[in-house]
Parts: sequence; C-alpha cells; structure tokens
Amino acid sequence: MFSFIRRIRGLWSNPGSLGVLVGGAAVGVVVFASVGSFMVYANSETFCAESCHEMTVNPAAEYKGTVHDVNRSGVRATCPDCHVPHGYVPNYIAKLGLFSDYWGHFVTNSIDTKEKFEAKRHELAKRVWVYMKENDSRECRHCHTSASMDAERQTPKAVARHERGRNEGLTCIDCHFAIAHKEPDGPGPQELSAANAPKN
Amino acid sequence: MPRRVLARIRKWAAGRKAIVVLLAGFAVGIAMLTLAGTTLVHTSSEQFCAFNCHEMATNVAVEYKNTIHDKNRTGVRATCPDCHVPRAPIPLYVRKMGAVNDLWGHLVTHSIDTREKFEAKRQVLAERVWTYMKGNDSRECRYCHSVKNMDPEKQSEKAQARHARAHKEKLTCIDCHFAIAHNEPQGGRGPQELEVDRSIISRGSIF
Repeated sequence: MFSFIRRIRGLWSNPGSLGVLVGGAAVGVVVFASVGSFMVYANSETFCAESCHEMTVNPAAEYKGTVHDVNRSGVRATCPDCHVPHGYVPNYIAKLGLFSDYWGHFVTNSIDTKEKFEAKRHELAKRVWVYMKENDSRECRHCHTSASMDAERQTPKAVARHERGRNEGLTCIDCHFAIAHKEPDGPGPQELSAANAPKN
Repeated sequence: MPRRVLARIRKWAAGRKAIVVLLAGFAVGIAMLTLAGTTLVHTSSEQFCAFNCHEMATNVAVEYKNTIHDKNRTGVRATCPDCHVPRAPIPLYVRKMGAVNDLWGHLVTHSIDTREKFEAKRQVLAERVWTYMKGNDSRECRYCHSVKNMDPEKQSEKAQARHARAHKEKLTCIDCHFAIAHNEPQGGRGPQELEVDRSIISRGSIF
C-alpha cells in the first residue's frame, strides 16, 4: 500500500517511461469505457423505469399497456426513446439536467407521494411539451420519419390531419400528447405555443 | 511498431516528468477508444451500409426501398444494420471481423461486382443469412419485435393462428418472414428446409 502511494508521489518527481505511457493509455481506455457504459446504462428502460421511486410509481406505471409499450408488431419505444435526445451534445445536456431530479429526490422531496405528483402533473407535462415543441418533436421524429410514412396505410382522417398539421406549422406533440402518460387538467400543448415556445 | 519509433517515444518519455507521460497516455487511450467507437457507429449506419459500396448499393439496398421496413404507416423504419448487425458487444465485434470477407470479395475476387454474378450467388448468400438468423433464434428481429409486447387483438386472425402454430413447432421469425426486405431467391431451399444445429450452446451468445 505504502509502495503504491510512493509510486503515485513519484509521478511528480521521477522521469517517465514507456510503461507509464502504456499505463496511462490503459487508464484512459477504462475511464472512457466506464463513462460510455454508464451513458448506455442510464439510457436503458431498467434504469429509467425501475431504479427510482418517482418514475416507477407514476409515469412508468401509466406507460404500461399504451401503444408505445404493447402493439401489433411488438416494436416498442421505451422511456429514453422519447425523453433522452439521441444526438451527442443534446444528450450530454439532458444528462446534466438530471441534477434537477436528484435535487428534487434528495433535498426538496418534490414528488415523493402520489398526491404531490398529481399536484405538479400539469407543470411537469408543460415542461416536456415546451421542450418537444422547441425542438420540433425531435425525439418523436428519430423513430417516426415523415418521409417514410405511407399515407395509403393511414386512415383518411389521419392523412387529412397530418396535412392540416403541416399547413399550420404544428409539430407532433401538439396533437399526440398524453399518449403514454395520463392527461393533466389544464391547457394542452397547442395553447402553449404563443406564450412559451419559439416557432422553429 | 518499428524499433526507431519505439526508441523515440522512450526518449521522449524519459525526458519528462512521469505525470506528464501518464496524462499523455491517458489522452492516447481516450483517443483510441473514441476512434474505435466512432468507426463502429459509422460502419453501422444506413449511410455506410447502403451507399458506400457498389455491391450493396446496386443490389440489396435497392430492393429494400419501399418494403415494409422502409416505408409503412407510422414511418418507423428498420435499416440495414438493424437486421444485419448484432447489438451485443461480442457478437458485434465478431460480425465486424466478418467484414474482412466483404473486402476480400470486393477487392480481390470480385465475387459479386455485376448484377449477373449477384443473381447467380443470391441463393448462397440468402442461405448464409438465414442460417445465421436461425442459429441465434432471429435475435436481430427480436431486438425490435418483442413477442410479449405484441397485442394479438391488433393482429389478424391468420397471424394469431400462425404465430401460435410457430410457437408449437419451435419455428423462429426468419422461418416464415423471409424475403420481406429483399427479392426471394428462385428455386432453392427456403429457411425451413435448412438444417441448423441449435442444440449445444446458444450460438447467439457468440455469433
């Protein structure tokens, strides 16, 4: 143990060698692989839906059985597909936002009961809606490509509404809200546009 | 690495404080891992698979256009790597090594560089993919299509009955859902006629 400490202190005084260089590279690989693996793990359904009380009892429970969970083809979209950006930089920024979750969980206990969650539901939904409106429903579009939609397989109603949505400059979340979680009472995403979200 | 380069690095390292050398090594390690990771990500993109190489671009990628995995009601797609590149690290690396075979065929033997050669080999190539998919119980299909998240009520009665029969007869996805993204080879065996040994270990854990 002491020799290890001596060796560490020696790093500041002794000259380097090839071994030290290779050792540094090994540490770099391990550290970076750990960061990357953690990013992957923190974007898994296991982590998002089952690791934390607030998510498990509220949004994850509501999501069960919705069309993004169970459907004809069994192709799912889980929590991170809709709520974690897929591009590198937006992903890192979103991960930093997790400090807000820790703060709420450990310090303010902001939604640790069902009652507190219900009381905040509209505010939380609004936060997500504004985020999605501001980036033109980027996470929706990561899977649902407009260019690859076959209008002939959609109902005439859906085709007409999508057409209208395009003409009016609407984005996915303006209409497709509360499809995976319960709908809060209060104004929906379309009412938010003037007040909060800048048009893209 | 040539001995001269190695000697030069040694000399460089000996002339500096160990901590500086350690940090330099740290940076090299991160750079190497980033490069390897980025290569894996890039070579698993539709851009790379479908457009970078003549053999893929003129045959399989063209056939895939407008099939159900390219264009459908919801606009949710599965592109080349979704079906043909494993997700788990070990099978992924093994599969990427197999790309050496593609380079060999492209650069050395020119095995499928014309439409005619490709058509002549279609059955062989298809059987190779079917065998791979049968061997790992259609793992890549199931990565997206999770059986327990299928809603039978939203499927046709025919589909429900056939899925039930397939469960009983221990069939896997590719046994029936073949030639859904590429043209069907004519005249040869289909996946159900192929013998694949799945008894010893789960091949999916390696390949």
